[in-house]
Amino acid sequence: MEQTQTSCKPSGTMPTGTGCSSQASDDSALGLKLDDGSLSAEVVNKVTTHPCYSPEGHKYARIHLPVAPACNIQCNYCNRKFDCSNESRPGVVSKLLSPAQGAKRFSKVKERIPQTNVVGIAGPGDPLANPAATLATLKAVALAEPDVHLCVSTNGLALLEQVSALKSAGVSHLTITINCIDAAIGEKIYPWVYFNHKRLRGRQAAQTLIDRQLAGLKAAVAAGMLVKVNTVLIPGINDHHIEALSQELKNYGALLHNIMPLISDPAHGTYFGLTGQRQPTEDEVSTARQAAGTNMAQMSHCQQCRADAVGHLGQDVDLNDMASSESEVDSSVLVAVASKSGVLIDQHFGYAQSFAIYRVSATAIERTEQRTVGQYCVGDDCDAADSRMDASLQALSGVKHVLCSRIGMTPWQALEQHGVMPSTEYALFGIDDALEQLQSQLLENGQLQAVPSTTIKEAM
Amino acid sequence: MAFSITNACIGCNACKLVCPQKAIVSGANGYAIASHRCNECVGHHADPQCASICPIETAIVNAEHRALNPPGSLTGLPTERNVIAISLLEQRLSNHTNHPPSHGEGHAR
Repeated sequence: MEQTQTSCKPSGTMPTGTGCSSQASDDSALGLKLDDGSLSAEVVNKVTTHPCYSPEGHKYARIHLPVAPACNIQCNYCNRKFDCSNESRPGVVSKLLSPAQGAKRFSKVKERIPQTNVVGIAGPGDPLANPAATLATLKAVALAEPDVHLCVSTNGLALLEQVSALKSAGVSHLTITINCIDAAIGEKIYPWVYFNHKRLRGRQAAQTLIDRQLAGLKAAVAAGMLVKVNTVLIPGINDHHIEALSQELKNYGALLHNIMPLISDPAHGTYFGLTGQRQPTEDEVSTARQAAGTNMAQMSHCQQCRADAVGHLGQDVDLNDMASSESEVDSSVLVAVASKSGVLIDQHFGYAQSFAIYRVSATAIERTEQRTVGQYCVGDDCDAADSRMDASLQALSGVKHVLCSRIGMTPWQALEQHGVMPSTEYALFGIDDALEQLQSQLLENGQLQAVPSTTIKEAM
Repeated sequence: MAFSITNACIGCNACKLVCPQKAIVSGANGYAIASHRCNECVGHHADPQCASICPIETAIVNAEHRALNPPGSLTGLPTERNVIAISLLEQRLSNHTNHPPSHGEGHAR
């Protein structure tokens, strides 16, 4: 690789002895060196047959089993109302599985996709905050299919005390998310951690987490697990710290480092999303990988999977396609629009006295009726909020999406709980424009049927 | 003397795993605390365990219906209503600076 004068770090000295290019496409050269004899044949085999550890593993498929809902820390890039937005993209809440259901899902998927050789537990909370469910699932899977690679992805807080249990359950691949080794940085990422029967906050919370992560990393490496470390790159918070972090990870014996861009879409409702923390640019991610690449082999093909992902990396299988029973796809949906002007989406949900109801199908958008509701907010007095919310829900019966200019957190949650998706994404858009955009979005997501229902689903 | 769980609960099961009294029950109707079992962790721990791990503000309340984790205490976010919407709107406006809102968004808080 050609040495260039492009600075690979915001400041400081240039790393020496390693190629340093500004090209994002060169990231792959920072991956694990499989042929220089530094890794044993067994490790090479474990790496090349795992889609996350090596791009060579792409012909193998993985399944994440969502059996672990509880979490023992809060990250500012996560909103627990959804799944973790970085380890598992939010938007659709996973259906949780019991360990027995998890093992059953694995067997079904294995029948359908025989290349499924990796079973991971990644949440939607932290697997090791749910040790009983996690271990029971791993054991059930190993019993059904002894040759499968078992993986766990954790924040590391409870790792130290679980390493031996994980080892005896047969876990070979472990991922720890470590965003920093400096508590002054950590306190900007983690508002609290639950440790030793207490909720810790601030610097103490971050220091406790970091100490436990590093102790857990050391123990897992000593137990012979292949440890990958995930780091969420957060501009202005840990981007200047990546090289120091990677040095420490190397000292502790981690195998692979996966630097992932922060996801901070405000619609996910995370602290970072709502406080305007920006996501890194591609160049910044590349720069961070180059900086860390002086110490650690880099993974640059991460797809930031959901905690219930199934199939080949980047080609997730929709589990709904595998279910014979209920189809999630509609031939048309009802959309409620809150509008004062009748032209733009310019009404606050809480002040809307009526909604215009539209029926949106793959080929048509038609206005069906105007429904009147009781107001949710009257001035500042919201004592009767609950009953007004009930009135709104009643008026919105059968509606799947509500478009408005603004909406409070509480009604947002109430609507979601009742299966209605509120959106302020189209605030101040023309109604017709917004509905057309929503229509194409629904078609794209497969939530709206583009063809007659008889041709869509294949029973499993 | 017992806590209870409100409908803010997201059903993450964390409280159930740490309750020393096994007072937390779950089923088709969500999560609840069996009041005859809950002793607010007195004699077990300095802090009530459910409220120490719960990630959702206002999901656990005491006998006076006071939230053990009041709004803003866990996420650091002002949970004033509209926080999502304001943020989204600001983003949209900064993307469309040539397109100022002329319509009465008069209820900013």
